[in-house]
Amino acid sequence: MFLINCPYCGERDQSEFSSGGEAHIVRPKQPTELSDDQWAEYLFMRKNIKGVQFERWNHTHGCRKWFNVVRDTSNDIIHAVYKMGEKPPVK
Amino acid sequence: MLNFITPIMDTKEYSEIKISEIEPILKINLRGKSRDFITKIGKELSIITPVDPNTSSSNEKLSLLWLSPDEWFLYSNDKIHIKNENFLEDKLFKEISKVKLGSVTNVSDHWIMINLTGTKVYELLSTGCPFNFNNFKNSKGAVVQTLINHIDVIIHNKNVNDLNLFVRRSFSEHLWSWMNDSARFI
Repeated sequence: MFLINCPYCGERDQSEFSSGGEAHIVRPKQPTELSDDQWAEYLFMRKNIKGVQFERWNHTHGCRKWFNVVRDTSNDIIHAVYKMGEKPPVK
Repeated sequence: MLNFITPIMDTKEYSEIKISEIEPILKINLRGKSRDFITKIGKELSIITPVDPNTSSSNEKLSLLWLSPDEWFLYSNDKIHIKNENFLEDKLFKEISKVKLGSVTNVSDHWIMINLTGTKVYELLSTGCPFNFNNFKNSKGAVVQTLINHIDVIIHNKNVNDLNLFVRRSFSEHLWSWMNDSARFI
């Protein structure tokens, strides 16, 4: 269990949130021109790394807004939280 | 408002906690993003629309709660007369929904309002809630959407040790039973 600082509501318990998986995955501009492998790569393949990961989260039981989180998956330390559409504040 | 029969209609008293359902109460959900929308709500309701997170504003008749940057929850401070109740909804619908400034939804039958009073209300809530009430209980007018016993709730800090709690109708009986059960042990 850990706390997440929702950019809209403030610090809340993790149980109020839902994880939306890896962030910053760009949808291909012309999906019809992709091969099945390329489409599957976009649709299903995720890094799932051990370490600092960029993720999407939703404050499901609060303001119901989506936002991005930079989280270390090995120890759940959150390095940054930023709104959708904003650039990551850390690399 | 369809005027469904409320599932609880009860008041319970324990040592330093009183739990009662207050019905019928007018409840309206307001959604919109533009500055015009926010100004319009304030003008129509004679309330300053709360734009700061987790805050609310009230006048004699109504309270307006911040739910998210584009969502507010309006409810009447007192019980309403069902016959006259549509007036405010119609007025807001005409001024906001019809001109496409935002959306106005009557959720009176969707939410149940439970009033909790007493010096141990926060002890009761803390038994099943992940939210830290330390700052909340000292901020009159504070609002929080959180979970109690895994049930979504909206809590409005009306006054010192005086809260209004909103829960969805379908979960209300379960929450009511849980609160009464927990209150016995505090």
